[in-house]
Amino acid sequence: MKDLSCRLNYRLPHFALDLEMAVPPGITVLLGPNGAGKSSLLRLLAGLNRPAAGEIMLGERYLYDARQRIDLFPEQRRIGMLFQDLALFPHLDVGGNVGFGLKLRGLDRNERQRRIDPLLEKLGIERLVRRSVADLSGGERQKVALARTLATEPQLLLLDEPTAALDPAARHEIRPWLLGILAEMDIPTLLVSHDIEEAAFFRKRIAVMEQGRIVQKGSFHQLLRAPASRFIARFVGVNYISGEVSMDSGTPVFRSTGGATFLAPFDRVMPGSAYLTVYPWDIALHRQLPEGCPKNRIHGQVLDAIPLGDRVRLTLAAKDKLVAELSSRGYQALGEPQPGERLWAVFKAREARIENYSGVLPC
Amino acid sequence: MRRPRLFTLLLAGSGLLLGSLILLPILALLLASSPAALLRLLGDPGVLMALWITLLSSLLALPLIFLLGLPAAYGLSRCRGRLRRALEILLELPMVMPPVVAGLALLLAFGRRGLLGGVLAHIGVRIPFTLMAVVLAILFVVTPFFVRRSSVLLEGVDRKLEDAALLLGASPLQSFWHVVLPVVRRGLFAEAIMAMAQGFGLFGAIILFAGNLPGRTQTLSLALYTAFESDPQQAFALGALLLLISLLLLAAVRVLQPREERT
Repeated sequence: MKDLSCRLNYRLPHFALDLEMAVPPGITVLLGPNGAGKSSLLRLLAGLNRPAAGEIMLGERYLYDARQRIDLFPEQRRIGMLFQDLALFPHLDVGGNVGFGLKLRGLDRNERQRRIDPLLEKLGIERLVRRSVADLSGGERQKVALARTLATEPQLLLLDEPTAALDPAARHEIRPWLLGILAEMDIPTLLVSHDIEEAAFFRKRIAVMEQGRIVQKGSFHQLLRAPASRFIARFVGVNYISGEVSMDSGTPVFRSTGGATFLAPFDRVMPGSAYLTVYPWDIALHRQLPEGCPKNRIHGQVLDAIPLGDRVRLTLAAKDKLVAELSSRGYQALGEPQPGERLWAVFKAREARIENYSGVLPC
Repeated sequence: MRRPRLFTLLLAGSGLLLGSLILLPILALLLASSPAALLRLLGDPGVLMALWITLLSSLLALPLIFLLGLPAAYGLSRCRGRLRRALEILLELPMVMPPVVAGLALLLAFGRRGLLGGVLAHIGVRIPFTLMAVVLAILFVVTPFFVRRSSVLLEGVDRKLEDAALLLGASPLQSFWHVVLPVVRRGLFAEAIMAMAQGFGLFGAIILFAGNLPGRTQTLSLALYTAFESDPQQAFALGALLLLISLLLLAAVRVLQPREERT
């Protein structure tokens, strides 16, 4: 039982952070738009900010409990945190940074050396030990910061957008490395991100936070299959259309906020507000309305056409905005439509998914 | 080629005027004296005594300034809102107070008939007209400036560094000692020199609170004032000496400061 479990209330300027979550050992990606309260959550867990109410339990230890009036100081919590800007100590060299926590525990130079060396070796930075932190590359700084945190043997690891400050090349190098290091450690790890690639990479456990609440938990695949909010849909690249289900002479129909009507499998929905999701690759584009008069169709103007590898992603604006993805060959067959041209977008009813908005967001 | 704009000329003109206003008196002072006169000064036991008292009082005041000022500066740099404004006003009080008034106020607080006079007399401490009074006057006048400048310096320290230290197991005091202070050490060193320079030049507060007693409380500034009435040549040389000391200190501050800003 080394899980982190918490229930927290905290006032932020524009909304309240109000959540309950459990983090088992291993990596959990905490995903959310900017300003959703992700960094605030980390600071609350670390004890740098004080919640208004709730409790934080790490294994059998209470770090915070409003009712029992327990509130451990940050230095007593045994939490490792990797800050977004790393916060390396500029006056110390790499060895001094990594050994900082051990020095505070009163370990002498030899003992520190004995503990740090294998760690530096494991992270592949043993040759940097006497270097000034100002001379390091982005990726090296990242590794030093992680080494500094791991040296104190934390029981919970908080990583605040660990790869956001890196250039794309370094990011691609660091990610598998980070996964490898973290996978070996058997402690709960919360990794904040707003990067789709990162979420896809650390895909097993993702918790999505919006407006201070956890709105969806699951694997990347589950997010992709059934995004619970517009943010998640946009994040994973799924079309998300909000509207309302109503009964039209006995048969249900979905009317979007933009005013278009669509059909979808209605067996699981009730009349009322709902949202429809459909994958971009399930949308077919045509110059002329195809035969058979498909029910789900939109006639709209191409906003942009962006090539992504061997695929092209087109955004179509009509009553609702729709993103379609097709192969480069399909794009060529269509005569390479340019922004401003008008196309028909068509999708089958069974390729759309429809869900009611629930009053309470799923947790 | 474009002609220089009128506004540019205006700026250049006012800059030139200000520059000469600063440099002209300095030049006059240096011209009124000579290296020989300066050397002669250093052979004068009275002058050496005044120099010694100047250095000693500033050096004695320095640790006290740090002891009182550094925690205050750090506290101030971590304060927000109304409390901070109140504290800043409290700090500005001695800063806007005319130095002579400061001397008078100190006398009324710590003098024999002052507020604390009875208590101090009871424990056998007499402050006015002693070296302690010189030190106290420097402390009173210089510390607020020191706190103000240092709080700006400390405010520049990234709070994340302290958070990181806490999470690595440091107590707030350890984080202050092992992270905050080392990060601003150059800046603080420059502030120490600045405080010394300010102490060297103090006049009004010292002459009222500590008196102008040669060999006991007479600093170089006071010696200059005394000499001006009897031996103007000596006063010019003393002036040049004080100026040179200040220039040296300024150079030291300049050497230390810019590198701090880079980190």
